[in-house]
Amino acid sequence: MSGALAAAIAVGLAALGAGVGNGLIVSRTVEGISRQPELRGALQTTMFIGVALVEAVPIIAVVIAFMVM
Amino acid sequence: MDHSSPTIENVFGIGWLDFNLSNIIMTFVASLIVFIIAVIGSRNLQRKPTGFQNFMEWIVDFVKGMISSTMDWKTGRRFLPLGLTLLMYIFIANILGIMFMVVYDGELWWKSPTADPGVTLTLAVMVVALTHYYGVRLKGTKGYIKEFFSPIPILFPLKIIEEFANTLTLGMRLYGNIYAGEVLLTLLVGFMATGAMETVAGVVPALLWQGFKLFISGIQAFIFVMLTMVYMSHKVSEDH
Repeated sequence: MSGALAAAIAVGLAALGAGVGNGLIVSRTVEGISRQPELRGALQTTMFIGVALVEAVPIIAVVIAFMVM
Repeated sequence: MDHSSPTIENVFGIGWLDFNLSNIIMTFVASLIVFIIAVIGSRNLQRKPTGFQNFMEWIVDFVKGMISSTMDWKTGRRFLPLGLTLLMYIFIANILGIMFMVVYDGELWWKSPTADPGVTLTLAVMVVALTHYYGVRLKGTKGYIKEFFSPIPILFPLKIIEEFANTLTLGMRLYGNIYAGEVLLTLLVGFMATGAMETVAGVVPALLWQGFKLFISGIQAFIFVMLTMVYMSHKVSEDH
């Protein structure tokens, strides 16, 4: 029971952090595109790489959650 | 979610050698579909492309753009077939589990092959091994080893750890996204199966989630190929 609770807290906090991080990345990308629309392609590519790197964190958290459950 | 996979254990009497039949069937199905699409798209090539050839050329141009955004086209040209194959294969593999899933006798037979960590980690290991191979081939053994000590030698342990972290996250990212999607889809279908009212209530969320999962499938295939090219350019290109 406490293992399930620990897993839920771990996944929830990781999702919270990743959500904030992704939001920052995407908002800055939108700012950059609105400032320089001709750089759209390059900025989007960089954004996707950044989002993918941030996403690794909750995935690791899920693995840890499965381990404690 | 709570069904097992059709595994054959201890093949040839070897203790650790297990085969997941569902994975084998689904990787074969995905390869077959990609093969058929590629054959239809590239038969009867014409100067003025029509129909399916347009689609194929669009995909090739898309991969070309991805490669040339990470390295120069002279070195990146040889990775076009790799990127094209990975993109199409992963996308098809991801969307195989969206339409339906087949559970027979408590065992899950039809699903996305990428919803299994074995398949995705195999892909990731293959990609990282290829980056090392091309690193040695294009820059020579000396240049390849020098790359590990490149800015300052004290970073060498971090570079070693980075290789393993890259492999792990590349595979687990794809697996986590697709598996989570399938779990939620299974939950929604299980909810819809409980009664008539629930069926009506569950149709819209299920449809919405299927649409979103289609989007996730495309994004994950794109990210996998993009990161493949980024890792490749770290090993291959002269200046970064």
